[in-house]
This record gives sequence, C-alpha cells and structure tokens, in this order.
Amino acid sequence: MPGDKLLSKWHGRLKVKTTAEQQEAKRKEREKKLKLYNAGTKAAFKKRENGEYDEEGLKITGEILAVNPDFYTLWNFRKEIFVNFLQTRGTDEVQKIMENELYFLESCLKVNPKSYGTWHHRTFIMENMPKPDWDRELQLCNTFLDYDERNFHCWDYRRFVVMMAEVSLDDELGFTTQKITTNFSNYSSWHYRSKLLPMLHPDPTQPAWVQEDVILKGKKKQQISCIHASRKTKRITVLLTRPIMVGRGNSLILSIHGKSVAGQWKTPTGSSSFSVLWIKDLTESIPEEKEVSVSVTLIPDIDKDTQFSQGLQIDADQEEAWVMADFKSGSRFSNELSAATSSTLETELESIKELHGVEPDNKWVLLTMFSLMMAIDRTHSMYKLEIRECIDQLIKVDLKREAYYRDTKSKFILQSILETQDKNAREMSLKDEGLTALYHTEWMLLLTSIDLSNNALSTVKSLSNLRCLKCLCLDNNHLKDLDGLQHCHQLCELSVKINDLNSAEDLYILENNKCLVKINVYGNPLCRYKDHTTKIKKNIPSLLSIDDNKCTSAPS
Amino acid sequence: MGTPVKDVTIPDSALRSLILQKHCDYIASYGTKKDDYEYCITEYLRMSGMYWGLTVMDMMGQLDRMNKDEVIQFIQQCQHECGGIGASVGHDPHLLYTLSAVQILTLYDATDTINVDKVVDYVKNLQQDDGSFYGDKWGEVDTRFSFCAVACLALLKRLDAIDIEHAVEFVLTCMNFDGGFGCRPGSESHSGQIYCCVGMLAIVGQLHHINADLLGWWLCERQLPSGGLNGRPEKLPDVCYSWWVLASLKIIGKIHWIDKAKLTKFILACQDDETGGFADRPGDMVDPFHTLFGIAGLSLLGEDKIKPVNPVFCMPEEVIRGNGIQLELL
Repeated sequence: MPGDKLLSKWHGRLKVKTTAEQQEAKRKEREKKLKLYNAGTKAAFKKRENGEYDEEGLKITGEILAVNPDFYTLWNFRKEIFVNFLQTRGTDEVQKIMENELYFLESCLKVNPKSYGTWHHRTFIMENMPKPDWDRELQLCNTFLDYDERNFHCWDYRRFVVMMAEVSLDDELGFTTQKITTNFSNYSSWHYRSKLLPMLHPDPTQPAWVQEDVILKGKKKQQISCIHASRKTKRITVLLTRPIMVGRGNSLILSIHGKSVAGQWKTPTGSSSFSVLWIKDLTESIPEEKEVSVSVTLIPDIDKDTQFSQGLQIDADQEEAWVMADFKSGSRFSNELSAATSSTLETELESIKELHGVEPDNKWVLLTMFSLMMAIDRTHSMYKLEIRECIDQLIKVDLKREAYYRDTKSKFILQSILETQDKNAREMSLKDEGLTALYHTEWMLLLTSIDLSNNALSTVKSLSNLRCLKCLCLDNNHLKDLDGLQHCHQLCELSVKINDLNSAEDLYILENNKCLVKINVYGNPLCRYKDHTTKIKKNIPSLLSIDDNKCTSAPS
Repeated sequence: MGTPVKDVTIPDSALRSLILQKHCDYIASYGTKKDDYEYCITEYLRMSGMYWGLTVMDMMGQLDRMNKDEVIQFIQQCQHECGGIGASVGHDPHLLYTLSAVQILTLYDATDTINVDKVVDYVKNLQQDDGSFYGDKWGEVDTRFSFCAVACLALLKRLDAIDIEHAVEFVLTCMNFDGGFGCRPGSESHSGQIYCCVGMLAIVGQLHHINADLLGWWLCERQLPSGGLNGRPEKLPDVCYSWWVLASLKIIGKIHWIDKAKLTKFILACQDDETGGFADRPGDMVDPFHTLFGIAGLSLLGEDKIKPVNPVFCMPEEVIRGNGIQLELL
C-alpha cells in the first residue's frame, strides 16, 4: 500500500560487508532481542484478551513500541487502556498518566520522528486529556521542525495544534517567514504560506471558494460556449466551459420549438465520463424549409436556480447553424488579472530579465520569465517570440524534461493561434509548428478542415472533438495509430503521408467512417506490403481513392 | 547558486540488466524464514508484505511457486467479526490491510473465500460525513484511506456502497497550489499521497478535476540527475517513488515527461546481485516492498520480461481486465 513509509525500517539501510564473526555476533544479539520482543508481544496480547487495562499494559506495550512504533495494534491497546482510565479513574490521576504518555511519545518521536502511529496517538491523547496544554505542543512542533524542517507529520500535527489552540494565522505566517529566513529553499514553509495567505488576505470581491477554484485551480465559470445543430446529420452538439457528466449532478435539456426533445446525450468518444462536449442524435429530422429554434438549458441538480440557457435559430435554407458565445480576448486560457497585479508582474519581469542577463542558462530564471510572460500577456501576442525563445533555451539546459517543454510550447502555440483566429472560422492551418501535443481541441469543434502536417504528433486522440471535420492533413508526423479519428463521422479526406503506420490494420479503426472517400498513406511502413491498398479498400468500403489512385470497384 | 541538489551517484559497478530469476528466488525464500528477526518484527504489516511478494511474483510469471492455500487460509484467519482485515492473525483490522487482502484474493480469483458483504460494510462504515475515510475505528484520517476504500470496493465491484461524490469532494480539499495532494486538507503535496488521490479519482472516473499540466510538471521535476525520482522537492531519490511518481504520470497521460532511459538505469542499479531484490537506493539493503515497486516501475517503462502492470491498482493488467475493470486514464 502507498505511503508505507511506515516502513521506516526499510529505508536508507546501507549494506555493509561484515566478517563471519561479526555476523554471528549480530545473529546472537538479534536472537536475544527477538526472544524479548516475542515474549513482550505475547504478554501484551494476553493482557488485552483478559481485559486487563492497567499500568502494566502500558509498560509492556511501551517497551515494544519504543523499538517498533509501527506496531499499530499495540497503540490501539494503549488507547483502550486510556479509554478505560478515563472512565474509572479520577481526573487528576488521568491527567498525570496522560502527561507521562506525552513524555513517552516525545521519546519515541526522537527515535522515529516519521511514524504515523506515534503522531496519531499523540493526537488521541491531546484530544482526550482533561487539561491539554496546547502551548507546550506548539513548542514541541517548533523543536521537531528545527530538527527536520520538512517532516510533514510534524507540519500536519502543527496545523492540528494551531486549530485547537486557535493560534492566529498572522503568527503562523510569521513562523514560516522565520523558517524561510533560515533556509530559503524550504518547500514545506512555502506550501504552508500558500494556504495561509489566501485566508489572511481574502479578495473582498470574491467569495473564498471562488478564489481557491479560480485562482489556484484555474477553474472557469460554467457557461454554454457553443451550440451546433446540423440538419444533415440530425445532431446537436453542445460545448461547455467546465466538464460535466449529464445525469450525474447535471441535467442538459434540449428543446426544439420550445418542446423538450428526448434521447440520450453522449460524449464524443461515447464513453461514460465527464466531458465539456455533449452530443445528441435526434431520432426525428429537424423540419426542413422552415425556421427552427433550438435551445439548450443546463440545470445543476444542487442549485437549480443557477441554470442557464442558450439558443439558436436554423434558417429555412441552412444545412447547419451554430452559436458561439462571446468571450473576452485572452479570457479563455488564462485568468483575468487586475491592473495592479499586472503592473506588479511587469516589474517582476523586468528584474528577472536582469538576472537572466547575468545567468542566461539558469533553468529557474527561465521558468520564472516564462510564467510571468504567460500571465501578463494573456493573448500571447506581446511576448510571442520571447516565450518561444525561452522554451527553446529551457530544452537546452534541462534536456531530461525536453518532452514537457515541447508539449508546453505546443500548448502556447495553440493558444495564441486560437486567440487570434475568428471564432467562427471553419478552417485552420497548424502546419510546421513543431507540435508534439494537441491542446484545446474542443475549441476546434466547428472546423471542417485542418492542416496539421509537418509536426511531431504521436497521437490524435483528442481530434475526436472535431465534430464537423471533413478534411484532415496529418502528413509528416509520428503517428503509429489513428485512434480518435473513428469518432470524426464527417471525415471525407484524410492524408497521413509519411508517418509510422505499420500495417494496413492500423487503418481498420476507420471502417465505420461512412463519409471517408479519400485516403493517402504514402510513405508509411505499411506501404512495404504490395497488397496494402486492396486490404484498405476491403475494410473501408466507402473509399474511392487510395494514395491518389482511384479505386474503381470494390473487391469481392 | 541556490541549494545543492540532493542526489546519489550510480557506481560504475552497478547492474545494468534485469536479474529476474534472482528476484523470484529472493521473494520465494523470503516467506520461508519465519524465525528471522526482520520477518518477525514486521509482522504488523504482514498482509501488505504478502501482497507485495505475491504481486511481484505474478508480474514475473512465477506466482505458482507460492502456497496459495496457505495464503487464503491466513487471510480468512485475519478477518474480524466487523468485516475488516488485520495485518496478521490477532492484529486489529485496518483499511490498509483490508485492501492488501482483497488485492491478494483478486490475484488468486478467490474473493469468495471471505465474507465480502462484511468487508463492504466495514469500508462503508469508515466513511465520514465530509467524505473522508478513517483508517480504522480510532479515527485517523488520510487520503491514503480514501484510495484504500475505493480500490477495495472497486475490486469487489461494490463501489455503490459508499458516497462517491463526498469522497471525491474530500480528496479535492486536499489539493494544493502545485496541483498535488497531501494527507489531509492543508497538508503538503507528497508523491505517495498524489498516487493515492490520482488513483482514487481514476477509479471513480473523475480525473477531470486534475490539472494535468501543473501536476505533471511537479511530478516530472521529481527526476534527479542520477535518473532516480524523489517523493518531494529536495529529497533523495528512492525506487518506491519510481512507482508513485511514474504511475501517477501514467494515469494523467504524461509519462513521457520523464527521461525513461535514465530512470531505468537508476532502478536497475538498485538491484542486489548477491541476494536478489531491489533496495531504495544503489548499495542499500533490499526488501520486498522496493522489489515490487522496482519491478512495477520497470513494467511501466516497457520492460517486456515483466507483465504489464495496471498503474492504479499496482497489479497485473491482465488480472484487472479479467476482473472486468476498465479505467479511463487521461
């Protein structure tokens, strides 16, 4: 099981060469220890079985727990003894015994400061003691954090003490400042500050949970961003800003001409999961030759009042129609900053650039510059070149994480292109962009044609979001499979020249793409088999052209 | 300048290839030395120890060397009236060991040999109003136990027994600014806890709550110049983190963000060619815990002499699929 750092015994034991004599001596010593240990364990279990909750029980279990603090059953026995004392003995006496327990625990923690059982037992004692001294506990935390400033058990225990003793958050912030002054690289202290600061300085304009959700977790406000309706495919597609699971906590209601339409909502891949895209296939056709009004309402189960709707009109002569919500430039992919915050960040950026001048190859300086530029320049237009340079430099100085930087660069490029492109565009070129990953494909929902050639893609799974896609060019990538494209039901033309598709079977995933008439697989390893076109045609009967050659008749 | 990086150096003499048979022999003989000092004083975690040993044997294709009947009988003896299972005979029930027992029984396709309804009741009764889980009746709360509860019930196909929405809500209150998770609300991120929380969310199909880019970056920053992974910033690398970190990266679809060749080299260097088994770091003493996570890590890295491992349950993928469990990873 995870977190079995209850295995303190099995960590950091250096293997040392020993002589046969030393080994024998150690064996004998261990044999003796084991005898005592086993006898003690037996005696403790016996006492518990007999219901003897007394000082002797504390003594016997204490001896074992002092050497083996992870023996949880013995801690439980001790707890039972204390529960018994609380019921049968006077307050002063119990107070005294529990004070002794705290001393005992302190001695255990000195030997093994990372034992879950010991810390939890201390919590139990403090919660049950007649007169707990919380100040003393805070002092104990200080001592243990002086000894090891990263001991997360102690930090957690400290947070428990702070809560019980109602220590002021200001004092706690002061404590982290002092810790950081001694060692600037104290991740535990920085973490604690990330929790304290929002509590100490709440944004008066926002409720606390919004700040946590929006600022720390980057969550967006729920909204219907787009509705697309097609007469031809009898299909309605809805794009939301936050993923939901229809039926679990949320209802999505589709109405045509004010009448609610039955039928199941599906995700693009048909999986039962949370998604921002929801699709409904209509059982009946959308009436031709007259205007049709479509509306979609999202109703969260917990708060029915926060429901909202979006509607659109399909004109008489239209095959398809859509409505794309207006969004402020730069608001889709980053959080809005106040003017004051922006100016602070700009000042920061100036100083970090100076540092970069002195230490051009420092990874952390580069990363900070990158984050600052991304935060300030929300449309990714102002620092376009600098951001790219920054990432390229990071790849050079931190080659181990090259894949992370390349994916990050891909994300940045896709964001900046999506920011500048017309929201109603149906075509997009992402040729020669060095993309290693695809991000934000839900915002490509309306595209009918996309050119992704000359990139470094190894998967196209997320293209399943492109519900209107007809023409796709993936030439010159690293694709070993086409998983994802089986969900692009409108796809007519696919070019996947010069990829890593190994056999004709890699294409069979497209057998149900009924509109697919043209495919080009030139330059893939699969072309080494002469019969590849025959095989492909046989399995994807809708095809009329393979590798620019007409396939006239369907083979038997 | 900054703080010097804590790391280890891999000695030139370190092993570079997998000594699979020796690991099998090490595990097979481990349980036979019942009078051994180390064996005795680790009795408080015996059930997990058996899960580590049996799982790694299964992944190496030699589970049949272990005594199935003895194991099942032992587990039966460890189940209490309340339904929970203890680490050993006479030891108290706890979620940690209840999960280990259920994992072992799943490996053996023998969950029907214990009282499953009671296990389900035990797990269900440990859930609190805020969605969290106690580890046992004494009230320790930890996101590890959220994972144990959900994993255990998923293997028993009884996830419906608990309040999943609340369980998810609690786990999310333990999420931090770095995208990671700690033991309780307010606790610092730690790779072991991250694995538990990410795994928990994967089992209940709610991985969309995770900021995969942010968390993935924090996780891939765990790789040190030696190639090994640490569990938190400024800590030494350790083979068990090659599992917690790597499995988490796999679940959120970012396993390619670390340097696989370097990590493989680090894990292989932690083998002991005298005794078999893996240690936490090159040159340390081996144990079954690090042996499982060394082997499981190598499996995720694509070593074909080992069976593919399921990144959420840390059990052979074939066992999980055979059990009808299909998880959607990012």
